[in-house]
Amino acid sequence: MEKLRRTMLYVPGNNAGMVKDAHIYRSDSVMFDLEDSVSINEKDSARLLIFNALRTLDYEGIETVVRINGLDTPFGLDDIKAMVRARPDIIRIPKADSADDIKEVEAIIEAEEKLAGLESGSIKLMAAIEGPLGVINAYSIATASKRLVGIALGAEDYVTNMKTKRYADGMEILFARSQIVTAARAAGIYALDTVYSDINNEEGFINEVKLIKQLGFDGKSVISPRQITPVHRIYTPEQKEIDFALRVIEAIHEAEEHGSGVISLDGKMVDKPIVDRAERVLAMAKASGIMVHEDDI
Amino acid sequence: MEEVILDLRSISLKSKKDLNKLRHFLHERDLDLDTDIDYAIVLEEDDKIIASGAMSGPVLKCIAVSKSFEGEGLIGKIVTYLLLNAHHHGVNHLFLYTNPKNIQIFTELGFHEIIRVDETAVLMENRNHGLPDYLKKLSESKVPGNEIASIVMNCNPFTNGHRYLIEQAASENDHVHVFILDENLSQFPTDVRIRLVEEGTADLKNVTIHHSGNYIISAATFPSYFLKESKKIIDAHGRLDLQLFCRFIAPALGITSRYAGEEPYCVVTSRYNELMEEILPSSGIKLYIIKRKENGKDVISASMVRELLKIDDFKKIKKIVPPATFKYLESKEAEPIIRKIKG
Amino acid sequence: MRVVKTGIAGTLESSDVMITVSENTSKGIEIELQSIVEKQFGKQIRRVINEKMEELGIKDATISVNDKGALDCTIGARLEAASYRAAGISHVRWEEK
Repeated sequence: MEKLRRTMLYVPGNNAGMVKDAHIYRSDSVMFDLEDSVSINEKDSARLLIFNALRTLDYEGIETVVRINGLDTPFGLDDIKAMVRARPDIIRIPKADSADDIKEVEAIIEAEEKLAGLESGSIKLMAAIEGPLGVINAYSIATASKRLVGIALGAEDYVTNMKTKRYADGMEILFARSQIVTAARAAGIYALDTVYSDINNEEGFINEVKLIKQLGFDGKSVISPRQITPVHRIYTPEQKEIDFALRVIEAIHEAEEHGSGVISLDGKMVDKPIVDRAERVLAMAKASGIMVHEDDI
Repeated sequence: MEEVILDLRSISLKSKKDLNKLRHFLHERDLDLDTDIDYAIVLEEDDKIIASGAMSGPVLKCIAVSKSFEGEGLIGKIVTYLLLNAHHHGVNHLFLYTNPKNIQIFTELGFHEIIRVDETAVLMENRNHGLPDYLKKLSESKVPGNEIASIVMNCNPFTNGHRYLIEQAASENDHVHVFILDENLSQFPTDVRIRLVEEGTADLKNVTIHHSGNYIISAATFPSYFLKESKKIIDAHGRLDLQLFCRFIAPALGITSRYAGEEPYCVVTSRYNELMEEILPSSGIKLYIIKRKENGKDVISASMVRELLKIDDFKKIKKIVPPATFKYLESKEAEPIIRKIKG
Repeated sequence: MRVVKTGIAGTLESSDVMITVSENTSKGIEIELQSIVEKQFGKQIRRVINEKMEELGIKDATISVNDKGALDCTIGARLEAASYRAAGISHVRWEEK
């Protein structure tokens, strides 16, 4: 079954209090940031903090992500060496412009995994697309590595590169969003939307989440625990969807019982995308705490 | 990416707008924006300042938090940032003045009381036993004797006037301890100033030259020496400095008297001399204010030497400085400094 | 590793610790501890520090600790960062961890 990534909580990597409590807010993933939220003079300190936290603390099954610094900085290489050994679930690459950016990081991870005696491929990758070139290359980025499980939009840097700024209706990043989610779907990986920085504007936030759900994004990066519940609520399937999903699963069981190779429901064929969606809907329903009648399956 | 919680930023000291905003915030809390700060940070919410902090050399200043945000650890955030910033610039021994009612807050942030004056001001440092360690080291220079004199001078550079004062003290006492100010805010760098004093007094057998360290008229104990402050502030700082001297430094060396030159020009120094007259005798330390040596009609002073350097009058300079100082001023080593003095 | 100057790391915020590692004029590890949970955890904090110093191979140092309720792993991280800064070494040898 697919992993839910409705919310990725962004945690500044040098904040000991937030790092140790990251899991209590129950986002689907937590992202420890070694990049923009850590000042240059504190990169070494934050790296050790996250290394120790990942090796020592129990994040109760919540997916752990570390955003490293780019290889074009003095910090990227040390970040990779440390984090390969710290074993988060995912390493997130910032500002990916092309498939090469992914391959470069992957090669180093591969080498370090070997040195550390770790199973190759044990750490997954994510990439953030934060500039026009990256948007154009979204599909080749999305298919650059078997380890890559998702791509995300970083809108702040993107709009700066595009010589515009963020607006409430998001038109300025519509193309970027569409391109990224399309590339992700074509590559069979996840698409995550950018952060919403005005944490006091609940209405604006909800509107944005509804929009990106409509566009097909799997979830959103959040910068405050307060933003988690609204996203989960919006990503909660409606009862109609849940009922349909249950019927799809039932149809699958029936087909298996009768040894039939074709699954049908209401006279129509049920193919893989529909099955996937049904599973996803039920997973989201369960995660939202909705009682899914297991005995109906 | 944006800061998750609040906006902490350093403000540009060149921006009138930023400085006024900070000044206004501090005034609301009965604090002044010191003129000598070289770094300042603010925490803002919705573009309004809710906490501030600044540094002047090793001294933390202008630390304040808005009433509605008290108790949320904002001062800790500010002090952390200032501490780490200073650390990355190689400065680790830090000081601060505050009102005694804030002692608890700063103790929790790792600061220790050095000395308190009048329930209005307390001087703190971020070392557990900074002052005791300093005094221990200082007392290694203690010399036996009944009459032990002390002088505190800047010597920027060392002149015949300074020499005269030291000679007076040396002739009237068993030993003289001369403290040369450590701050590198003078035109001539600290190591040069001290070297010239040492060379210029090598013949005097009962004189010891010391670095003043952090606890004698340093930027920490007497910042207004280096600024032009109001009389009220000069007094508070002066008292603090003299209390430190009387209660801790003098006993460490067995000092029984202090010598100083008469100060006709500098407001701060002459006021400081007045405070010495008030405070030293009651601590059992005799004060001798000696008339300055003259060259013709003029009182010999370091500022006179600097003025003469501006016009390259080495003939006149030779008359008012000892040979070692003159040799230095003529040397290649002094060229960049003299150029700077000329402006 | 040898302490050659002062190294500071960490913060004074809740759940964190600020640690200063500096040269020790005498021999051995000298710890100055200020903690909001001194009574309950003072001993444990000192143990964590001594273990980490042994791990880093530092024999002589003065360690000043201002603890705001940090977990052991946080103390270890901040102490290690301060130690590397005090030793003037900029790259941790991750291969050895």
